[in-house]
Order: sequence, then C-alpha cells, then structure tokens
Amino acid sequence: MSKIFKGRPALPGNVEGSAEVSHIGFNTCATYVEVMIAGSNSGVCKDHDNPDLFNHDLTDKILCIPQTIGSSSAATLFLIILEKNIAPKAMLFANHIDSLAACGLLMGDNWMDKRIVTVDLLGDDFLDAVKTGDSVKISEDGTVEIQ
Amino acid sequence: MKQHQLEGQIGTDPNFSHATHTGHSRKNAKASDPMPELKLTPEEQAILDGKSGDLLKRAMKTICDYGRLFGAEKLTSLDCAPHMAMSWGSDGVEPFLKIYKQLADAGLKTYAPFTADPKPMDFDGLPVSKEERATADKVYNRMDELEKINLALGMKKDHWSCACYLPQMGNTPKFGDNLAWSESSAINYTNSVLGARTNRNSMGIDMLCSILGKAPVFGLMTDEGRKAKWLIEVKTSKQPHPEMIGSAIGMKVMEDVSYITGMDRFIKEVNEETSGYLKDLGAATASNGAVGLYHMEGVTPEAVKSGRDLLVEGYQTYVIDDAELERIYSSYPNLWKEKDGVPERVFLGCPHMSYGQMVEWGNRIIKAMEKAGKTKIALPTYFFGFTGVKDDFVKRNPEIAKKIAGYGISIPKNCPMMWCSTPGTGAERIATNSNKTRVYTTARFFFDDALAHLIVHGELPK
Repeated sequence: MSKIFKGRPALPGNVEGSAEVSHIGFNTCATYVEVMIAGSNSGVCKDHDNPDLFNHDLTDKILCIPQTIGSSSAATLFLIILEKNIAPKAMLFANHIDSLAACGLLMGDNWMDKRIVTVDLLGDDFLDAVKTGDSVKISEDGTVEIQ
Repeated sequence: MKQHQLEGQIGTDPNFSHATHTGHSRKNAKASDPMPELKLTPEEQAILDGKSGDLLKRAMKTICDYGRLFGAEKLTSLDCAPHMAMSWGSDGVEPFLKIYKQLADAGLKTYAPFTADPKPMDFDGLPVSKEERATADKVYNRMDELEKINLALGMKKDHWSCACYLPQMGNTPKFGDNLAWSESSAINYTNSVLGARTNRNSMGIDMLCSILGKAPVFGLMTDEGRKAKWLIEVKTSKQPHPEMIGSAIGMKVMEDVSYITGMDRFIKEVNEETSGYLKDLGAATASNGAVGLYHMEGVTPEAVKSGRDLLVEGYQTYVIDDAELERIYSSYPNLWKEKDGVPERVFLGCPHMSYGQMVEWGNRIIKAMEKAGKTKIALPTYFFGFTGVKDDFVKRNPEIAKKIAGYGISIPKNCPMMWCSTPGTGAERIATNSNKTRVYTTARFFFDDALAHLIVHGELPK
C-alpha cells in the first residue's frame, strides 16, 4: 500500500525514481568531496560519516534527507554536479530547507536552467516511512507518494 | 574530524546540527502554512520581467525565489556597502566564477564598492616552504581570476579582511542599515554590535543582492526575527574569555537570537578596546553554532534601546557559570596527530585582530618576554589583521610595534583558518586563541596566558 505525504514544493516538478534515504543531515561537500577536489565525475556519496549513504550512487535518485549540513561552499557543489549530470533527480527535505541547499538549488535552477525538484517540510514521519530503494513519485503540488 | 574538514573545506555547521543557516529558525514551520506573497515595486517587477536584461532578470528571480522560501513579503534597498565571503579562487568555485564573469562582462557592478574576506595565503607575512608554495599555488590557481572579476564588479582594491567593519577598513554600517552580507563573523558583528540588519547569506545570493542593491526581507532583517528566544545569564566569577562564552552560546542556541545578561559587569560600552572582545564572542557563536545576532544587556545598541522587551514570550534560559565553561572547554577534542606535541606556530586573530587587540597582545607579549629575559620568541607567532589595522597600530604604537617585530612576530593579512585548511600547510600543529579556527581546522585552542607562555618559552606552562 502506498503512503502519501504533502510537503511544500520549493522547486516544483513531476518526477519518479528510486529513494536514497539519510536519517542524518546530508553533508553536500563531504558527499561530493572527490568531485570537488579530484574532479571526479561520479555521483557516489563519499561521506564516510553518513552510514546511510556512503558509497551509494545518488545520480538521478530521489534523495530523502532531514536537511543539508556542512560547508557554506556547498552551493557551488550543486552547480558542479548539475553541470556533470550526476545530481539527484529530486531532494526531499523532512525539515525546512536550509539556506546552503537553497542557494545551490536556486542558482542551478535560475543560472543553469537545470532543476533538482525540491520539496521540503515533509515532516519526520516521512523519513520514518521511506526506505532506500522505495519507488517514489513526486507531484508538482508537493505531494510525495511512496509506492 | 569530519570529512569536509579533513579535505580542507570551510564553512558553517561543523557540529552537524540542524538549522536553516539563515540565522532564522523555522523549526515550527509546516507545509500547510500559507505562503506569504512577495510584493514587488513596479521597478523591481520591471527587472523581473526582463526589462533590464536577462542577467538582472535572473538575478532578481533568484533572490525572489530565495526570499519566498524563507517567508519574505518584500524586498528592501541595501545600504552602506556589501561584504563577500568568497575570497579563494580555486577550481571548486568555478561555477561561481563563471556566473560572476558574466555579470562583470556585462558591465554590472555592486551598489557600492565591496569588501571581501581575506585571501588564503600571504607569502610575505607568512612564508612557507617551496613545496607548500607549489601546493598552495595549485589549489588556489584561480586567485588572479577571482581578483580581476571582483575588481570589475566593484571591489575596493586590496580590501580583503573578514573584519571589514573596523574603522580602518571602513565598511562600517550604521544602526538600522540593511545589508546582504556573507561571512558569518562579520554578519554577527554588524547585526549585534552595530545594529545593522542582514541575514546569514550564502555565496551567490550575496553577490546577486549586491548587484541589484536589494535583498528579501525576512528573519534577522525584521523586528520579529531580531527578538531573542534565549535569555543567557552569565554568572561567572570573573570576565569570561569571549571565545568560551561564544562557544557555549552557539552550541546551546544553535541559530536562535540570544539576550545575554551579566556581561555589563565587565563591559560598559562598545569602544576601541571592547570591540575585539565582542567580535570574538560573536564569531564563536557563529562558528560553534549558526548564530547571526546576539543582544548584550547594557552594551549592544538594541539591548540598550529596548532592554528585555527583546525577549519573546516563553523564552528559554541558559545559565553560564564557571563550571559550565569548564565543561565546554573540556569537551574540545585534541586533533593533533601527535597529541602531546609542541605547537609549530601560534595564530592570533580569527576573525582578524582589531587595533585594540594588537595593542593588548603586544603589551602582553612584551611583559612576558621581559619577565623571562628573552629577546626572541620561541615559536613563530602571527597577529592576523587587515593592513590598515596594522598600519594604524604601528603608527600609534611605534615602541610596541618595534619591540614585537624585533622578537620575530609578524602581522600577515591572510586568513588563518584557510591557511590551516590548505593541503600541505594544514598538517601543522597550530595553537590558537580562536574558537573559529579550532572548529574548522585541526588547530588547538588555548587560553591567552597559556599562549603567551608558549610564545615565550616554546612549551606549555606546567
């Protein structure tokens, strides 16, 4: 049976995909550190402090997280992963979106015309319900269906 | 030590706590909350409609989108001058360099000449080995490009310092000025000590707001957002170290505004001597937490004006006494590979030192050196500061400046935190009195007396 959650469509869109779930803050810079430092073209998470996502390929996935954390230079990482086409397809935030992610996602949307569909304020229950590998459907009104 | 720190990344939230990073907690927000309408003036709407060109249209759309996410209902015009945190030119910031170059190539400029954070390296003030220089040159291979773009966009030449608000740097906002700054410590100081208004902006948003001369009004730019959710009662037996008070507050309140009492026993007003203390306290709240504003009873302007009316209904209380500060200090990890090794360098001034701090530290070291009968310091020691502050210090205190220079102390103008985060140089054992440097690097925090002893004798006091 599917479960439905309603969030705020920060960057609306209709997409479907496979979930990757982190129960701790998503450290953008640590995740993509090899992209930033070594010029890697891989979307695999390299944050070894994140047991939920470490070594998972996040490319084109539906990333489900509480919030992003870490360096304020994270915004630039969003632009780099969008440019390299290794970004998640969507980001689903249980909490209010943070300014680090907001800046990167909005810069990508407005300056590269590349959108990572974003929904926030989905609540803690959402992160309890969704599991890595679940099929997730997002509608542009912020409805998220875990199938 | 977290991965991003190991890899030399810098920025907010080293403690991995959840916060919006705007300095405006949205803990209770719900998806069902009505979205306020962002009302634009006819001029702003015309820019959004593309009547001033595609680049300004994109800039306007970006800052409007940003404002809507955090509840802004309008934009406001910006005052004084911008300050930007991005001061390192590396491949890591390539996407921003591309966007900024587009803006510069179109002849766009910020609404007033801007200042920026200090550069990562100062090879004159803080010389490094040939190998370290080669590594730094490779990491910061886009510095010249960044500087060129910045100057084209309106940066004041050679105005690189995080303490831009000091009179010697001249980017000093007035009470009530609206800003769109980045750099957490500068944001905290200008909000708290000067009573200007800025949110904690990220790279990109700061530049776009500054090009437009507009910022979305929410959070710390509103009367409501500047109210304190925490009453901090300082009950220490003596004046506490600013870095410790700031650290304790940051870790407790994370990004909420606090109203601090009990400090007017030690600080009577904001002046040349106390500004450094308030700067360091605020920087610690902003790096050990994500605080953009504090009020200090009887000291900071809004607290002097409105007193405890600044507290929200149902505020929480946090008492800081000697035992609490000891608990906090004991919790700091020692991240040196050789835990008991002797420091290789002593770094003072993160954020950059004020004039008053250079005088204070100069006198402290002279006293300790003369007491020990020494003529040369035992460890390489650096006072990090803006060139204008250094020049003022030297001009007004020639005797102190001559003595400390003779001891071997230098005054570089770069960012100690970024220096510590640079591959190669970052592996050294650094002793510091900055909680910000401690949080973002492997440097160890020491109290002032211990640092003075280290500087003079090359070992920790027994």
